[in-house]
Amino acid sequence: MTNRAPEPQFPPILLDDVYLICQLARQGRAWRPALVQILKQVRKTIIYDNVAVYLLDRTTGTLEVSYAKSVGRGRSSEADVAWGEVAAGLVFQTGERVLQEPEPNPNLDRLQQPFILGLPLKLDQETLGAMVFIRFGGPHYTPEQIDYAGFTAQLAGCLIGVQELKQQLSTVETLKQMLDIQGDLISILSHEIRNPLGFIKGYTSTLLRADTEWDAQTQHEFLTIIESETDRLERLLENLLDSARLESGQTVIKFLPVRLEALFNDMKERARLQYPDMAIEVTVETTPATVLGDPRRLTQVFENLLSNAAKYAPGSPVHISVQRMDAPKGILIRFSDHGPGIPEKHLPFIFERFFRNPEQNLQIYGTGLGLYIARQIVLAHHGRITATSEAGQGVTFHIFLPEQTFDAPVA
Amino acid sequence: MSAFILVIDDEALYQRLIRVNLEAEGYQVNTAGDGEAGLEAIALKMPDLVILDVMMPRLDGFTTCERIRQFSSVPIIMLTAKAEEEDRVSGLNAGADDYIAKPFSATELVARVRAVLRRASRADQFTQNRYFTHGNLRIDFARAEIWKDDKPIYLSATEYRLLIQFAQHVGQVLTAEDLLLSVWGEQYREDKEILWVSIARLRQKLEDNPHSPQHIVTRAGLGYLMPPPDNPG
Repeated sequence: MTNRAPEPQFPPILLDDVYLICQLARQGRAWRPALVQILKQVRKTIIYDNVAVYLLDRTTGTLEVSYAKSVGRGRSSEADVAWGEVAAGLVFQTGERVLQEPEPNPNLDRLQQPFILGLPLKLDQETLGAMVFIRFGGPHYTPEQIDYAGFTAQLAGCLIGVQELKQQLSTVETLKQMLDIQGDLISILSHEIRNPLGFIKGYTSTLLRADTEWDAQTQHEFLTIIESETDRLERLLENLLDSARLESGQTVIKFLPVRLEALFNDMKERARLQYPDMAIEVTVETTPATVLGDPRRLTQVFENLLSNAAKYAPGSPVHISVQRMDAPKGILIRFSDHGPGIPEKHLPFIFERFFRNPEQNLQIYGTGLGLYIARQIVLAHHGRITATSEAGQGVTFHIFLPEQTFDAPVA
Repeated sequence: MSAFILVIDDEALYQRLIRVNLEAEGYQVNTAGDGEAGLEAIALKMPDLVILDVMMPRLDGFTTCERIRQFSSVPIIMLTAKAEEEDRVSGLNAGADDYIAKPFSATELVARVRAVLRRASRADQFTQNRYFTHGNLRIDFARAEIWKDDKPIYLSATEYRLLIQFAQHVGQVLTAEDLLLSVWGEQYREDKEILWVSIARLRQKLEDNPHSPQHIVTRAGLGYLMPPPDNPG
């Protein structure tokens, strides 16, 4: 018993050290680097050889080692020395501190005599894991060191717990977003289907009223309404099917050389009939502006943008510019209107399926599918589409289509 | 005399649909494109029946209906875009007399209108009071505006609803619980302090001297009342 090494003089625990580790705990964005700093700091006072952090893996229900560091004796022995797994299990089960200090045995290697201090990592009442300090061959942990280690473990528990909660929160938010989108789908569909159905039913039953005769002009007016509402339903169905096909990757993109001047000229011709009041100006800075793509699908992209401009920026001219880019090689198309613009907070979501600006007038028909379809098509061309907007200045869509070699996927 | 019907709907195609069918019945029809315009039209033209759409931007149909009921007992048929029960119940709670779920047929519309008008003509003539005055205070229900000595007073939505409770029960003592239930709702039943603060704020805005109120008077241990004009205090 006299062989035990004399208790060394431990450095005192200073208030400044405590402030410092609290600060480290607060600053850390991710718990791991913060914890590394904290454990380095507390080693000055809780002198340890090994430290390990075990956390509950919620998917398997078992403890997993999440951080381990060997700084003293035993560094060369690596996996062969004690890492306190058993103590960690005990701490986790009981939620209480565990102190295991063997009777010193001079016949044993120090590395065979771990002095283990295990502390629970808790957030509120929930035990998240355990933090284990190990000294090989002593000395005993002093009561101050045990308290200080307990305090450190509490800090670490909060640090880890809060980040776990943040992660769970983001999972929940993602789920909520999915639910919201589903909810949006239902409300959009019910509005977009119920309205045309309401008009078709209302005007048909009006024409069929047994007690009333309608003159030819009125009959014609009602039948025109019925027809155009039927068209609206048909367009909705097409958009829904298109977006479902694009989503599942069933859409076949037929890559052909497409001359953009010609594509825009055709589009202008059609727009003259569809949106007679809209001024469309096309500037092509590089001729010939040719991309490899599916002309029908690319036309769909620009027609969706045009239809948006007509709806959300009525009366505004539309400007389309085509420019060749070098790095990366490709064609950049800018599509701008000078309408009210899109509020910045909504910009990140406009290409999402079923997203509609909640501040938008309910009177403007839309399914929240046009931009989604546009983006899916551009992505299928290995390009990208983004939007920028300034309040009151309008919206600009930036469509980049890469210059493709002829070994591009051809279907 | 043919009945005069006001249609409040933001969809031009619904306005047209309802108008042609009702005019074919010999009714006189006016239309309004939103809730505010509808309230104004009811106050000015005193229709015999209002057809009110639920789904409207800005002021929705339920809110419009509640606002109409603050000053008029004109029969109201709600057009619910949703056939769900909760919509019908909210409509009836807001004070509607009947509802028609979209999509509807022309014959259903005409039949409902006839039925509601028949019931209304048997009942007492409905009342309508756009303006309410109490001393130097005047309320325009149609526009939800308050005037004190011909100066406009700006109230929060809750303060306005609280004031309306008093205006609709002049001379009656209203208990704290009555007011909390009707203005704030069931879960505020116990929150007397929120009522005290709101009454204090209302007095700041309405009374010449909030410490000696003329419009909203405390009846210690009972509640609050708006005294009858001939018996102030």
